[in-house]
Amino acid sequence: MAESELLQGTLDLLILKSLALQPMHGMGISRRISQTTNGAFDVKAGSLFPALHRMEQAGWLASEWGESETRRRSKFYRLTRTGRSRLQCESHRWERISLAMASALRAT
Amino acid sequence: MLAAFFRNLLRKKQTEQELDDELRAYLELTTAENMRRGMSPEDALQKARRDLGGVEQVKESVRDVRVGVSLEILMQDIRYALRSLRRNSGFTTVAILTLALGIGANTTIFSVVNGVLLKPLPYPDPDRLVTLWETHPTWGPFLTVAPANFYDWRQQSTSFSRMAALDPYPDFILTGRGEPRRLAGAAVTADFFPLLGVNMALGRGFRATEDHVVVLSYSIWESYFAARTAIVGTGVRLNDEEYTVVGVTPRDFSLVSKTSDFQARTRFDVWTNLGLASPPEAWTRGTHPLSVFGRLKPGISLQQAQAELDGIARNLRRLYRDDNEAKGIAAVPMAEHAVSNVRTALLTLLAAVVMVLLIACANIANLLLTRAAARQKEMALRAALGASRKRLAQQLLTESAVLALLGSGFGLALTLLSVPALIAHLPADLPRIAEISVDGRVLAFTTLITLAIGIVFGLVPMVQSPGVKLNARGVSSGQSSLRSALIVGQVSLALVLLAGAGLMIKSLSVLLQVSPGFQTTHILTARLSLPPRYANGYQFGTGQHRRISVFQRALAERVRALPGVRSAGFTSYLPLAGTNNNWSFFIEGRPPNPPGVYDSTDYRPVTAGYFETIGIPIRRGRSFEDRDDEDHALVVAINEAMARQFWPNENPVGKRLKFGDEHWRTIVGIVGDVHHQGLAIAPVPEMYIPWGQVPNVEVRPTIVVRSFIEPASLTSALRKAVAEVDPEVPMDQVATIDQLVYGSVSEARFRTAVISLFALLALFVAAIGVYGVMSYLVSQRTREFGIRMAVGATRGAVFALILRQGAKLAAIGVAIGLGAAALFGRLIASLLYGVKPLDAATLAGVSILLAAVALFASYVPARRAANADPMDSLRYE
Repeated sequence: MAESELLQGTLDLLILKSLALQPMHGMGISRRISQTTNGAFDVKAGSLFPALHRMEQAGWLASEWGESETRRRSKFYRLTRTGRSRLQCESHRWERISLAMASALRAT
Repeated sequence: MLAAFFRNLLRKKQTEQELDDELRAYLELTTAENMRRGMSPEDALQKARRDLGGVEQVKESVRDVRVGVSLEILMQDIRYALRSLRRNSGFTTVAILTLALGIGANTTIFSVVNGVLLKPLPYPDPDRLVTLWETHPTWGPFLTVAPANFYDWRQQSTSFSRMAALDPYPDFILTGRGEPRRLAGAAVTADFFPLLGVNMALGRGFRATEDHVVVLSYSIWESYFAARTAIVGTGVRLNDEEYTVVGVTPRDFSLVSKTSDFQARTRFDVWTNLGLASPPEAWTRGTHPLSVFGRLKPGISLQQAQAELDGIARNLRRLYRDDNEAKGIAAVPMAEHAVSNVRTALLTLLAAVVMVLLIACANIANLLLTRAAARQKEMALRAALGASRKRLAQQLLTESAVLALLGSGFGLALTLLSVPALIAHLPADLPRIAEISVDGRVLAFTTLITLAIGIVFGLVPMVQSPGVKLNARGVSSGQSSLRSALIVGQVSLALVLLAGAGLMIKSLSVLLQVSPGFQTTHILTARLSLPPRYANGYQFGTGQHRRISVFQRALAERVRALPGVRSAGFTSYLPLAGTNNNWSFFIEGRPPNPPGVYDSTDYRPVTAGYFETIGIPIRRGRSFEDRDDEDHALVVAINEAMARQFWPNENPVGKRLKFGDEHWRTIVGIVGDVHHQGLAIAPVPEMYIPWGQVPNVEVRPTIVVRSFIEPASLTSALRKAVAEVDPEVPMDQVATIDQLVYGSVSEARFRTAVISLFALLALFVAAIGVYGVMSYLVSQRTREFGIRMAVGATRGAVFALILRQGAKLAAIGVAIGLGAAALFGRLIASLLYGVKPLDAATLAGVSILLAAVALFASYVPARRAANADPMDSLRYE
C-alpha cells in the first residue's frame, strides 16, 4: 500500500506498537512496521523521521544513543509511560473504528 | 515539551548534528540490508538513497515539526530579509522612504484627530459630563441660558449629581504692575470646579454663598503673583474692589470649549463666584449669559436626563410664557459639543492621508511584484530543496514585516518631528490643541497600520505566484492584471483627493471673494477695557456716559493727529472677532407681539466716525455725529437686512423704535450689511446705537483706526496715545483688519492647504506608479514588439498601443474615481461654501489633469518601446 494512503494517526499507532516490545532505531521501526503489516505499509524516511521527532517532543517517546548491529552510533527510541498509555488508548480507538467499518461494509 | 523547546533553541548545532547522525545511520543500515540481499555495494547505496528520498528534504520536514523552530526560523528569516534588503538598496530606499512618509503623515494627522476628537476629556469620568442649552425653533438649538432658568433646572432635575453655570463676561483690570492688563474672567457657581473634578493646586474652590472671592489660573499666579504659595487668603484689587484669593487652579487645567462658546475667549485668567445659591431676580429670565454644565448621576443615561429636561422645559414654558415660549432644553455630551465644529474637517483630513498612504502602498506593492518576479528562481530553488509553501510564505512575510517596521520606525521619527511643527500651524480656534501628543493610542494606530502593511505586502507576491513554479520565465497574466488593478486604484484614489482639494480650494476662493461689507486693508483694531470708574453707578439719562464719550473723543483726537492716520472710531462688537450681542425692541405703531415672541436684532454701540473708518457705506439718511449723545434726540442706524426684514415696503428712515425702557429712538440712517459672524455666514439684521446714547453701560470699546500707511506700524503710537489719555486702560487683541479676515477663515485655510498638499502628493505618487507599471509592461513585451515591428508594424502603431493601454487604465481609474469623489463630496459638503459637492468644472478639471499626468507617465515608456531596435528586442531573450 502506498504511503499516502496511511490514515492520519495510523502511522503514530504503528510506531507506538512497534516500540511496545523493545527500543529500536528508525530503520528498525520501519522494518518492523513492514513485517507486522505483511509489507502492506512501507514507511519512508520522509514520513518516519518527522513523526518520530514530533512524538518525542510530545513526550510519547524517549531516545538514547546506542550502537546498531553494524556497530554504528544510532538513535534508539523507546516508549515512555505517556507513550504506553497513548498506545493503549489509540489501539482501543482503532479497534472500535475497524469494527464499525467492518460492520458497515458487511451491511447490505 | 518546554525542555525540548529550549534544547532546540540553545543547542541548535548539536540537534542538527544528531539529526545528521541519525539519518546517516539509517542510510547505512538500509545499505547494509540491501547488500545482505545480494546487491553490489554501489547499487545498495543508490537504492538506499532513493528510498530515503533526499536527505535535505527529510531534514527540512523534521525541522518543521520541531518545537521552538518558529523563533529560530524567524531570526534566520529576519537576518535573511535584512541581507536581501541591503542587497537591493535602491528598492529598499524607495520603499522605506515612501512608507516612512506615508506612515509619518498618517500618524501625524492621527495625533491631531486623537488629541482633539478621540481622547477623553481631561476630567474624571468625562463621559458623564454634558453641556446644557436653551433651544428655540427659530433662534437656534444651542442658546446660552438665563440665570433664572438655570436655577430652576438645577432645582427641579434629579438626573444630575451636579449642575453648574459659567458667566464668561466679567473682565478685570489689573493695575499697579507696569502696563495695565485685562484679565479674562469667568464667574462660576460653586459646583463648577467639583463638577469637573478639579483639584486646586492651592487652596480651594468656591462656597455657595461667599462673595468677592477669586480663584487664579496657574499661569496668572505664576506670572503676576510670583507663584507665592502664601497668596491664598490674601487680598487682590480687581476693578477697584477687594477680592480674597481662595485658590489656584492646577497647571494643566483648562476648560475644553469651542471658540464660539465664550465670546472668543479660550482661556480664563481669574474665576469669581457667580453665586446663584438663592433664586435670582425675576428679570434674569430675560437675559441669557450663562453656559451650563452637568454631570450625569451614575446609571442615568443621556436619554433619561433629556426626557426629564423636556418635562422641566414644558413646565417652564407654562409658568413663564413671556420668556420661555417655545423654549426647550438640550443636553449634549461635553466632548461632542466642544469639537462639533471641527469633527468633519479632521476626519476628512484623516481620510485624505489614509488615501495617500494607500496610493503609496500601491507603488510599493508594484515594486514588490517586480522583485517577486525576479526572485521566482530563488523561490523555486528553495521549494526544490524542500521548503514548504508555508515556509516560503513565512519568509516573504518576514521580509515585508521588516520593511514595514523600518518604514514605520522612520515614519514615527518623522511624526515626532512634525507634530510640534504642525501644532504651531494649527488654526488657533481648534479646540484641545494642548492635548495633541504622540501617546499610546497613536502608537497603537501606527502599529496597526504597520501590521496591515506588513501582512498585505507579504501576501502580494504569494497571490501573484500561487504554487511556486519551477519555471521562472515569463509573467503570468494574473500579475499583469494585479498591476493594472493597482494603477486603476491609484488613479481613482488620486482623483478623489484631487476632487476634494479642488472643491475646497474653490470654496476658499469663493469665500475670500465674499465682500465682508467693510474695507479689508489699512485698518488697525485694538480692544480697550475701561476701568470700573467709567461705569460705576451708571444709569441711563443721567449724563454719566459722558465720561466714556470724553475718553473716546480725547483718544480719537490724538489718534487722528498721528502721522499716517486718516480716521478713527469705536465699536463694541468688531466684525469677525467672535463677539456679538442681540437685543429685542418694539416698533412704534405696530400691534404688540403675542407673549414670548420678540423682534430682535444684533446690537452694536458705535461712535461717530466708525462707519467712515471701517468703510461701512451709508445707504440712506445720515451717519452718526458727535452730537448724538444723551443731550440730543435719541437716534439709531440700521443695516439693509434689518430694513428689508422689518420695513419691507417702506422707508425706515424717520420711523421710531424703543428697547425695554420708554425712550423712543428715531432711525436716521440705513447702512450696508456686514458679515459679522464669518464670511460664510450671511449678514443678519443689525442696529447701531451712538455710544453716547446706549441704554446699558458698554466699557469695552474696540478702537478702529484707518491709515494711509501699513496699519500694524501704528501699534506702538496707538498704545502711547491710550496711555496718555488714561494710563489705567489696558489695550490688547491688536489686529489689522486683514488679520481678522484671514483669521476668520483660518480653519478653512488650514484644511485646504493640508488636503491640497496631500492631493499633490497623491498625484505625484500615482504618476510614478503609472510610469513604473507601464515601463514594466513594456519591458515584458519587448519581444512581442520586436516581432510586431519585424513583421511590419510601424513605430507609431507600437507607440499608440502602449499609450492606449495607459489611457484605458487611466480612464477606468478616473471613472471609478469620479464615483468615489461624488461620495466623498457628499461627506465634505458641510465644509464647502458657494460650491456644490458635484461641481462639474472642478470634477472635469481634476479628471483632465489626472488623465494628462497618467498619459504623460505612459508616454515615456511608450516612446521607449517605439524607439527600440526590433533586432535588439528579439535578441534580448
